[in-house]
Amino acid sequence: MTAFDLPATVRVLERGWLSSNSVLLYDDHESATIIDTGYASHAEQTVALVRHALGGRRLARIVNTHLHSDHCGGNAALELAFGARILIPPGHADAVARWDEQTLTFAATGQRCERFAADEILRPGEVLRAGELDWEVLAAQGHDPHSLALWNASDRILISADALWANGFGVIFPELEGESGFAEQRALLARFAGLAPRVVIPGHGAPFTDVDAALERAHRRLDSLATSPERNARHAAKVLIKFLLLDWREVSSRALTEHLAGTHYLPLLNRRYAPQMAFTDFVATTVDELVASGAAERRGDTLVNRDN
Amino acid sequence: MPLPEQDAAPPSAAVPSPCISVCTMNPTTGWCDGCLRTIDEIANWSQMGDSERRAVWLRLDARRTQRQRHAG
Repeated sequence: MTAFDLPATVRVLERGWLSSNSVLLYDDHESATIIDTGYASHAEQTVALVRHALGGRRLARIVNTHLHSDHCGGNAALELAFGARILIPPGHADAVARWDEQTLTFAATGQRCERFAADEILRPGEVLRAGELDWEVLAAQGHDPHSLALWNASDRILISADALWANGFGVIFPELEGESGFAEQRALLARFAGLAPRVVIPGHGAPFTDVDAALERAHRRLDSLATSPERNARHAAKVLIKFLLLDWREVSSRALTEHLAGTHYLPLLNRRYAPQMAFTDFVATTVDELVASGAAERRGDTLVNRDN
Repeated sequence: MPLPEQDAAPPSAAVPSPCISVCTMNPTTGWCDGCLRTIDEIANWSQMGDSERRAVWLRLDARRTQRQRHAG
């Protein structure tokens, strides 16, 4: 995957797993649009990266594919630095206006996000003109019920958010609460296959062109999760804890457990999938699994992030 | 969101990104405290070909050594 696979008006700012990638689209010599803005604790670096990549242009618009903390955490800082208008999907627009952290996913996951105000709603079926390209706004339910994806038919570029990565996709959150998500993800993967993208810009990881292989892996992953809601739950619990470890780098077991007890998802997963376990034990066993896979390590009572 | 068995790189990966999700620029070194890249290197990463990326990785190894020496 080299620079030649994307037009000059599309600049991917690849980050890691705590911050999503950002896609900077040069609208003309004077202004640009950014898709997704990373995590709040990385906002300073995000602003610096964007300033560098803007090359003197104005950042006119911020667009969020979905309102997870790793995709909209830089909104406030970028808006402050550049005065951009913020466009969000319709699903939680009201919650954003009230900054209702319970309805938004931040309190539920125990993650943080700087407050911002949205200026406009971007709806599935509309067309976003950015980077001198027309992007069809697709509904991309599965990982998040309100997520969007962006499809440019002329260059066959798909901005897939967390619906499709080179090797997997984001946690199917609705299923954790007994709501449908696997079927939506299945249908979405089929839709993506039908579009036949030439290149996919995922929410995390490098842009990729072997789309068939990625879709194949995603289908196998979905098969594995869909046949075992318990597997989906265990996976979600690990992902949510790993996310916090990436942010904090290290934390005492006690502080982690206390923090998670105040969130929505970990207690829910405990109640629904391991009701016989005390919450402390549920967290400890999940951490054991992270340690076993090399994602974390224990040093006495402290949990330390491990990079792979 | 991340886990080792579901990492970003497909099996036959090109040169992987050095990002370890620390993402904080150090004003003294001018490098990211996590991956040790400059703003320019991070911003241009997705445009680089494999040989340019490998060259960055070599520079990062040198910077890591330099940073350890200063810290020690």
